Amino acid sequence: MTREQELHQALSDAVLDMDEDLTEELAKKVIEEGFDAYAAIDAGLADGMERAGVLFEDGEYFVPELILCADAMYRALDVLKPHIKVEEQAVKPRAIIGVVEGDTHDIGKNLVRIMTEAGGFEIIDIGRDVPPNVFIDRAIEENAEIIMISTLMTTTMTNMAKVIELLNERGLRDKFKVMVGGGPISQAYADRIGADGYSKNAAEAVRLAKSLLGMEVAK
Amino acid sequence: MTNDLYTPKERLLRKLRGESADRAPVICPGGMLNSAIVEVMEHTGHVLPDGHTDAELMALLAKDIAELTGFENYGVPFCMTVEAEALGSIIDLGSLVCEPKINKERFASVSEALIELPETAGDNPRVAVTASAIHMLSGGDMPVIGSITGPISTAASLVDPMTFLKELRKDKDNAHKVLTAITDWLISYALVLRESGADIICIADPTATGEILGPRFFEEYAVTYINKLADGIRATGTPVIVHICGQLSSVSQHVSEIKSDAISTDAMVNLRNLKSKYPELTTMGNLSTIRLEQGNPEGVIRNTDILLRYGIDILAPACGLGTATPLKNIAAFTQRAKLGIGS
Repeated sequence: MTREQELHQALSDAVLDMDEDLTEELAKKVIEEGFDAYAAIDAGLADGMERAGVLFEDGEYFVPELILCADAMYRALDVLKPHIKVEEQAVKPRAIIGVVEGDTHDIGKNLVRIMTEAGGFEIIDIGRDVPPNVFIDRAIEENAEIIMISTLMTTTMTNMAKVIELLNERGLRDKFKVMVGGGPISQAYADRIGADGYSKNAAEAVRLAKSLLGMEVAK
Repeated sequence: MTNDLYTPKERLLRKLRGESADRAPVICPGGMLNSAIVEVMEHTGHVLPDGHTDAELMALLAKDIAELTGFENYGVPFCMTVEAEALGSIIDLGSLVCEPKINKERFASVSEALIELPETAGDNPRVAVTASAIHMLSGGDMPVIGSITGPISTAASLVDPMTFLKELRKDKDNAHKVLTAITDWLISYALVLRESGADIICIADPTATGEILGPRFFEEYAVTYINKLADGIRATGTPVIVHICGQLSSVSQHVSEIKSDAISTDAMVNLRNLKSKYPELTTMGNLSTIRLEQGNPEGVIRNTDILLRYGIDILAPACGLGTATPLKNIAAFTQRAKLGIGS
């Protein structure tokens, strides 16, 4: 293992161990020692989040752990980001994410944002309690390819269908892929309202987003 | 129904005491387990959001709901924001179709929340509205349920929820201090509702799920503080229903540790299995609210029959009713439930 690979491995482990001081320290070493920032994000931080996602799916990590892993990732990201070389700033696929109108529960939405950001997407987070038309207007404005809609409550889940109905009415349905998720949502519900995909958790959402855009899905 | 042996209140209280009754009651407690549907409100003109801040309107709406849906209880309030507002978060009261919601949590972290919370609930205007509505509803044959938000969800409505959840792990001392203070306040709130005439208190704590917290924190925080709250209420002789959201698979060993007079669960939980595993539990639930909102009366009746066959002690929706739920589906549920087994 080269020194650079060692640092990547250590970054990945520190994300998994929720150690934000260590990820920051390691990120600084990456820069000081002249290694590539982008590679450290990709092979270190993103790898650590992916491993955290696996533990989350396996029921070893839960929401508190996943948020702490993300904090560790973001601390190092702040150090590394300014050092990404211009030519490496590849255009990332963009997605809009928000919680439907009437619902201010945004833990699930935030987890999906974290995991898809770590998975290589540029995520525009339009917050919680978002009216159906705003999803569409912002998606157009931001040139997004995917609209991700979340809700926790059975009492507001019908607002998801409204976003898709409005896309149809506005003749924009084929411009965007629509992903839905949240406590009461199921694949059957996603199918019924005409969404392009449903994922049952944040780790799965990354794979779904990639596959909807025809990107390579790891593992 | 004239042959009923018990009044709705007697029947529900008997079930909560673990005694037999002529059949299972069918109820909807309010609070998180929302019962205020648009069709009822449009029919009578007693509407939300006005009813959240007007005691008389709140009481009238509770009566409308019982009368039109057939649920055998009165249940108030119609939201989960009374506690958070009384403790200082900013609330949006919503609309006819949207329930009230938290606009801005008061604190950014649990350490910021280590301030003196008001010791008693009584003086707060929204507490007073709920208490006064309960007073107007009490004293008859219908059981009056005061619905309150559990300690974990109240904490996550006062402290930014993402920060709160990670601080359960990272800042345990302060998380426990804040939860202790919140639980003490919730006990005082529940006792105000009890003194106003509530026959039963229902605690719903949707943030306290196995999926969110995992088994370790579910035990360390959810079980601890829900039990502290339930103990504080039950010590006065008032029965307590606890509603747990989500899957129970990762935390099922802890469910029997929750001190309640009935456990209510989400639709994905197989209550028959829970009953056979813990025969001493009084089970409540769990007709799918998705079925109620999007299905038809025939489907609702089929699901009701399953619950009756399982011998579920108290029939109720599995979650809050979507505000667009058709009245005919709810009526199909309550009418079928009242026929009991053998129908």
